[in-house]
Amino acid sequence: GRVTSSDDGSALPGVSVQVKGTTRGTTTDASGNYRLNAPANAQLVFSFIGYKTQEVAVGNRTTVNLSLASDASVLNEVVVVGYGTQSKKTITGAIATVDGKSISDKPVQSFDQALQGRAAGVSITTPNGVLNNAPVIRVRGVSSISGSSSPLIVVDGLPINSGNVSQGGFTVNNPLGDINPNDIESLDILKDASATAIYGSRAAAGVILITTKKGKEGRAQVSYDSWLGATQPFRLFNMLNAQQFMDYKNLAARNAGLPDQFFPTTNPDGSIADTDWYDLIYRTGYGQNHNLNVNGGNKDTRYAFSVGYTKQQGMIQKNDFSRFTGRMNISHQLNKAVRVGANISLANSFNQSPNTGTTGAFSTGGLGRLPLVLAPNVAPRNPDGSYNINRAANNLGLGKNLIGPGGYYNPLPDLELSKFTSENNHLIGNVFADVFLLPGLVFRTSYGLDQTTVEDIDFRNSVHGEAGTVGGQATNIYSNIKQWNWQNYLTYDFNFGKNNFQTIVGTESQKQMFNIWGGTRQGLSDPFFTSYQGNFTTNNPPPGLQTENALLSYYGRLNYDFDKRYLFSFTLRRDGFSAYSVDNKWGNFPGASAGWRISEEDFWKNSALGRVVNEFKLRASWGRVGNTGIGNFASLSLFNSGLYGTVPTFAFAQAGNPALRWEISTNTDFGVAFGLFNDRITGELTYFNKQLDDLVLNEPQAPSRGIPGNSIATNVGSMVNRGLELTLTANTYTRGKFNWTTSFNLTTLNNEVLALANNNADIFGSTGGLESSNIIRVGQSAGSIFAIRTNGVNPANGRRIFINAAGREVQYDHAAAPAQRWTYVSDGAVAPAIQGTDRVVIGNALPKYYGGFDNTFKYGNLDLSIFLQYSGGNYIYNGTKAGLRDQRPWNNHTDVLNHWKQPGDITNIPRPVLNDNISNGSANPISENVEKGDFIRGRNILLAYTFRNNLLRKANINSLRLYGQVQNAFVITKYSGADPEISTNRDTNVAPGVDRNSTPQARTYTLGLGLTF
Amino acid sequence: CDQETFLNPTPLTSLADVEAFSTPDRVLAQVNGLYASVKSGQFMGGRYQVYVDVRGEEFLNVTNNGVTALSAWNHTQNSGSNEPTNLWNAAYLAINRANLFLAGLDANPTVIDQTLANQYRGEARLLRALTYHQMVQLFAQPYTKDNGASPGLPLRIKGEVGSGGNDLARATVAEVYKQILDDLNFAEQNLPANYASATLNTTRAHKNTAIALKTRVYLAMGQWANVVTEANKIVSTAAPYRASTGVAHQLQADVRTVFSNYTTTESIFSMPFSSNDLPGTQNGLHSYYVPLTGIGDYSLNPNGIISNTTAFATADARRNFVKSDFSGDLISGAQRNRLFKFPTGPVHTDWAPVIRYSEVLLNAAEARARLNTSAVDEQGLALLNAVRTRSNPTGAYTAAGLANSAGLVSAILTERRIEFLGEGMRSNDLLRTNQPLPEKGGVQSAPRIQAVPTTASVYIWPLPQTELNVNKLAVQNP
Repeated sequence: GRVTSSDDGSALPGVSVQVKGTTRGTTTDASGNYRLNAPANAQLVFSFIGYKTQEVAVGNRTTVNLSLASDASVLNEVVVVGYGTQSKKTITGAIATVDGKSISDKPVQSFDQALQGRAAGVSITTPNGVLNNAPVIRVRGVSSISGSSSPLIVVDGLPINSGNVSQGGFTVNNPLGDINPNDIESLDILKDASATAIYGSRAAAGVILITTKKGKEGRAQVSYDSWLGATQPFRLFNMLNAQQFMDYKNLAARNAGLPDQFFPTTNPDGSIADTDWYDLIYRTGYGQNHNLNVNGGNKDTRYAFSVGYTKQQGMIQKNDFSRFTGRMNISHQLNKAVRVGANISLANSFNQSPNTGTTGAFSTGGLGRLPLVLAPNVAPRNPDGSYNINRAANNLGLGKNLIGPGGYYNPLPDLELSKFTSENNHLIGNVFADVFLLPGLVFRTSYGLDQTTVEDIDFRNSVHGEAGTVGGQATNIYSNIKQWNWQNYLTYDFNFGKNNFQTIVGTESQKQMFNIWGGTRQGLSDPFFTSYQGNFTTNNPPPGLQTENALLSYYGRLNYDFDKRYLFSFTLRRDGFSAYSVDNKWGNFPGASAGWRISEEDFWKNSALGRVVNEFKLRASWGRVGNTGIGNFASLSLFNSGLYGTVPTFAFAQAGNPALRWEISTNTDFGVAFGLFNDRITGELTYFNKQLDDLVLNEPQAPSRGIPGNSIATNVGSMVNRGLELTLTANTYTRGKFNWTTSFNLTTLNNEVLALANNNADIFGSTGGLESSNIIRVGQSAGSIFAIRTNGVNPANGRRIFINAAGREVQYDHAAAPAQRWTYVSDGAVAPAIQGTDRVVIGNALPKYYGGFDNTFKYGNLDLSIFLQYSGGNYIYNGTKAGLRDQRPWNNHTDVLNHWKQPGDITNIPRPVLNDNISNGSANPISENVEKGDFIRGRNILLAYTFRNNLLRKANINSLRLYGQVQNAFVITKYSGADPEISTNRDTNVAPGVDRNSTPQARTYTLGLGLTF
Repeated sequence: CDQETFLNPTPLTSLADVEAFSTPDRVLAQVNGLYASVKSGQFMGGRYQVYVDVRGEEFLNVTNNGVTALSAWNHTQNSGSNEPTNLWNAAYLAINRANLFLAGLDANPTVIDQTLANQYRGEARLLRALTYHQMVQLFAQPYTKDNGASPGLPLRIKGEVGSGGNDLARATVAEVYKQILDDLNFAEQNLPANYASATLNTTRAHKNTAIALKTRVYLAMGQWANVVTEANKIVSTAAPYRASTGVAHQLQADVRTVFSNYTTTESIFSMPFSSNDLPGTQNGLHSYYVPLTGIGDYSLNPNGIISNTTAFATADARRNFVKSDFSGDLISGAQRNRLFKFPTGPVHTDWAPVIRYSEVLLNAAEARARLNTSAVDEQGLALLNAVRTRSNPTGAYTAAGLANSAGLVSAILTERRIEFLGEGMRSNDLLRTNQPLPEKGGVQSAPRIQAVPTTASVYIWPLPQTELNVNKLAVQNP
C-alpha cells in the first residue's frame, strides 16, 4: 500500500504501520510505499508524528492505500519560548505564533514585511515603498519615548542586532533582510512579561523568536522554490500638466499683483514641453527569487542546508535589492550524553537606493518630493540631450518661466551619474552542545556571533544636485557591527505523579561593538571618476563612530502544572547593562503567571458545554521587564575633541546623569484560550495593561543654560498601553474536496502618556528637524498630531480661516501688505499672526485598532488565499498635501483647480496667491491636512495549483506547485495621501503618523513555483 | 574578564569629565574648544554675520530657501523659527563652556601656573563677553534706545551641568553690558601682549583684542568718550595709524590682502577654518554669497550701497569684492552682483572676520565726530580718510565737503557699509543708531520687503520658544 498526506497528496515516508495487537509492523519507504503481511481480520494502525493516528481494517484487500490527515493541534502543540519550548496547552503567557509557510513565498525583502497583520498585538509598518526599509515593529504599542520601541529579535536562541545599519546618506539597509524568509520554520512573538521576563532588560518592547528549519529524521527532502515578480507604484498623485500649471500659477501671480511668470517652453518639434516627472522616477521593477533546500537526517545526525538568491528591483529607478544566502543547521549525537550542533547562516545582501527622501523628508533632491514640486512645463533635457539644469543655482533650468521652485534638482543627473549603495556581509550563527546529565536534566552551552559588516558607498556627481556646488563628493563608510553572546543553562524537567515541573537556570553574557569609519572627498578632478578611489582635490573630515555595550545576566524559570490543569510559571532575571550609571547597572526582572484549564475538569467535560467547548483555559500574568535601548554612554559627562582651525580642542559635549537607571515596563494580562468542536475553532482573548515607568527622557533644559543638546537623559516619564487582543482560527467549512479555513486577529490599543519631565512639559516631535506636527503631552496618546485648527475657506473672499489659541477665527490674505495679512473673520480688523503657539492636539497618531483576516479556500489541488490587513482609529498628518497645494512656484495637485473663484463659492482650496505657503499649511501644520488613517489592505491574494502525477513522478518530482499572487492588491481608505501606511519619521516614537514627501507603497505581482523531490 | 570591567567600558572617542583638567595640554585644548564653540557655524563661524547683514538692505534673497536666513532677510522670525533658536543654542553653549572652564580652572589649581591660568581666564571671559555682546544686539533693544533699561538676556555666568536651575529672568540690557565690560576689562589685564605667531595673534585673544572689542561695545552704548579712551590705547595719534603696544595692528596697504592672507596685523580677531574644520553645510560665508562653488543664497541689492557710485567709487579697490560675471547667474537676462569677499570654494575655508583694525579706526572716528558737535573733527576725519583712501586714493573727504559734524558721522556710517559689507555689521549699526531697517527688494524678482520701524516687534529677534517653554521667568520681547 501507499500512504500519502491528506494536505497535499504527497508521499509520506517513515510512517509506522503496525498490525494491531501484535509486534508485527513496518515503516513506509521514501515513496510512501510499504509491504506487510497481515491476516484479513487484522486492523492496521498507521501512525506518524504530526498526523492523526488512524486504524484501518484490512479485509480481503491486498493493497491498503491511506491518506493520513494532519493533526493541526498536535503540530501546534509546541511553542518556542525563551531558552526552550513549551506545550501550547500549558502556556500561561501571551505568545503569538506564525507559521513560516505564511511568509516564505511572499515577494518581500525581509520576513517582517510578510508578518504584517499576521499576529495579534504586533503592529508592523513598512515606512514607504523603498526596498528593504527597516520596519517599524511595535508589540503592544510604543514602549519608550527616547529609547527604542523595537522588539528584541532572537534567531535560534541568539539575540541579534536590528534597525537600519546604513551609514550612508540615502540608502536604507535593514539587517533583518539578511535572513532568508524561506529559511524560517516559525515565528513566535512573546508579548506579556510572563513570556518575556526571561529576556529581562531587553524585553520591554517584546521579543520575536525566529526558528529556522531544522533537519528531520528520514530520507533527504529536496525542494526548490522560485518566483518571478513585477512591482509598480500605485496611488500616485494627479499633478497639474503643463497647461494647467501655467494657467493656474499665472492666476496666482496675478492675484499677488504680479505679471504672468510661467510660459511654455517648446520642444524642437513645436509641441510644448509637458513633463510628468513621475515617468522619470518610477518604473516597473522586476524581481526573481530562488531557494533550494535539502533536509534530512538519521537517528544521530540531522541536517538542513539551503541556498537562496533573490534579486529585486524597486518601483523607483536605481532602487535594487539582492541577496545571496547560505544556511547550515546541523546537530549530531556524539554519544549517549552529548549532542553538538550549529545553526549558521551567511548572507551577502546589496541595497541600492537613490535619494528617495527616506532619510530626509525635506531633501531638495528627494525623489518622493521632486515630482510634486518641479514645473511640468520644462523638459528634463535640453534639445541637445544635455541636462536641463541651471549650473549657477544648482537647480532645474527654468525654461521660459521667470521663476522656479527654488533649490530643487533635476532628478536625472543624480539617477544617471550618482550612486548610493549599502552592502552587507552578515554572519548569524551559533554552536551548541547539550549534555544529558540525568533523565530530564540537560546542560546547554551555546556561543553565538551576529556579525554584520556594511560597506556604504555614497557617490554624488559633480554636475548637479547634492554635490553640485562642491564639484562632486564621495563618501565610503565601513561598519563592523559585532555582537557575541554566550549562554550556559541547565534545564531539568521532571514529574511526580501529576505534578509536572520544567525548570531552567542559566547565565548569559553579551557584548556589542560598533566600529564605523570611512572617508569623504570632494572636488572630482574629472567627471570620469565615479568612486572614492578616483582623484579629488580635497579630503574632508571623515565620518566615524566607535562604541560598545555589554550585558551580563542570570536567570531562572520554573513552570509547574498539576495534571495539565493548574498551571504556574515563575521567572526571574537579573541583568547588568553597561549603559546605565555606575550605581544602577543591575536590575531585577520578575514574571509570574497562572492558568486554569477548566476544560480538564470533570464537571466541564461532563457538561453539555464541555462537549462543544473542548478547551477552555483562563490565564493571568504579571511581570516587569526593562529597556536597554538608550545611548551606550548616556550616564556619563563627556568632552569631545575637535579642531579650532588646525589645533585640537576639547569641549563639554554631554551632560550625563549619574542617577540614570532602568526603564521599567510592568505588564498585567488576563486571558482566555478556547477550542470549540474538537478544536475546529480555536481562539484567544486577552486584556493587557502595559505600564511604563521611569522612562528615560531627554529632559529639556533651558537653552540659556548651555547644556549640550539642551537636554539631560533623566528617568521621569510614564506611559500606559491598554488593549484587547483577539485571535480566532477556524476550519470553517468542508464539503467533499472543498475546504475553507479562516483566521482573524484584532488588537485594540489605547496609549496614554501619564507623566513627563519638567512638571509634565510637552515634548514636540518634528519631521526633518523642520516641521513640528506631533506632541507628547500628558493625558494624550504619545506623538499625537498637533496642528493649528482651520475652518475651511471663507466663501466671501476665498481666504483660509484659521482658529487661533483664543478660539477666534482669523483669515489670511497673502496678497495684502504684510502688516494687514491676518484679519479677524468677524470684523476684518487686523489680527496677530497665527504661529506655532496656536497649535492644539488634533488626535492620536497611533492606531487604536489593527489586525488581519486570512481566508484560504481549497478545492482539490487548487487553493486560493486572501489576506486582508486593517488598521484604524488614528490620524495622519498629511504634510505631503501641504506641499501639493503650496503656492510657491511649485507644481500642485489637480485638486487645486477647485479653488475659490468668486464670492459664495464653497470649497476647501483658497484663492491662490503666488508664494503663499501659509494658507496651505506649509509654514505651520494645519488641521486641514490632518486625516483619518483607517484602511483595509488586500495585503496578499494568492492562487495556486498543485500537480502530482505519474509524469512528474517519473521525473522524480513529488509535487509541483504553481501560483500567482498579488502583494498589496488594493487599499480601501478615505485617506487622500499616497498610502495610509507611511511613516516618514520611520522608527521614531515622538513623531509617528506623519506623511511628508514619502514615496508610496508598491504593488507586486509574482508567479511562482515550488518543486519537491 | 571581571564583571566590573565588563560592565564599565570606557568611551574611546570621548573624554570623561574627570579627565578634562588632568594635563596642561588638555586645559589648552579646552581653551581652544572655547574658541571653537564661539566659531560654531550657527554663530560666529558664519551665520551671525549673515543674519546681521541680510537684516539690512544690502542683499537680495535669491533661493527662497527657508533654512538659509530667509526669515532674517524678510523679517518673519517668530519664537519658533530655527534661526533664533539655533543661534541662541550655539551662543549659550559657548557661554556655558566658558563658565564651566572657569569653574574647572578654580577647582584644579595645580595643573598649570597662575599666570597662565589667568591668561586662560582672560580668554574665556573675552569670549563670553563677545558672545553676550553679539547676542544682546540681536535679541534686545539697543542700549542707546533707553540707556539699557530694556530686557536683555538671561545672564548666565556660572557653569551648568545637572538638572534644575532653568528659571532665570532676563537681566536688563545695561546689566548685560556691565558684565561684558567687566569681562573685557579683566581680559585686558590678564591677556598676553602677543603670541608667538601671526596665526595665534589672529585666532587667540590678546590685550589689544580686548581693547578693540571695547571700542565696539562702548560705541554700541553711545559712550563716545570711552570709545576714544580705548581706541587711544591702540591707535597712534598720527598716520600711519598703528598700535604701539602689543600686536602691531595697522591697516594693510591693499584691503584685498586681508581676505587672502588671514593673519595680517589688520585682522585683530578672526575665526579660522581648515579643510578638516569646516563651517558646515549652509553655514559658511562663501556658501551664502557665491554661486557655483557655494549656494549663493544672497546677491547684492542693486539699490544698496553698490548703487552709490559717489561714496563707493567705481575705482574703489573694494569694488573688487563685487563680482558680476558668474556664468548662468542671471535674473531676467541680467547678471546678478555677488559679494566675493570670501572667495574659497567649494570647500569653505575662508576665515570669518570678527574684528578688524579698520573698525577700530572708524569706531574712533565716529566717537570723535559725535563728541565734537561743533565742527568736523579733524582727527575723526583723518581716521575716516585713512580707511577710505587706502582703497580709494582720490576719494578723501574734506572738512569743507562734509560741512559739519553730522556730515562726518554720516560719511563714517556710509563708509562702514562699504568697508564691512558682508562682515556682520550692518543691522547692528542701524539698531545702535536707532534707525529703521530699510525697505528692500522689488527688483530682480525679489519680493518687496517693507521697512521695519524701530517700534515694530520684528525690529529685534524674538527669544526662542524653547527657552520660554522651560525658563518660566524669561519674558518674550513685546
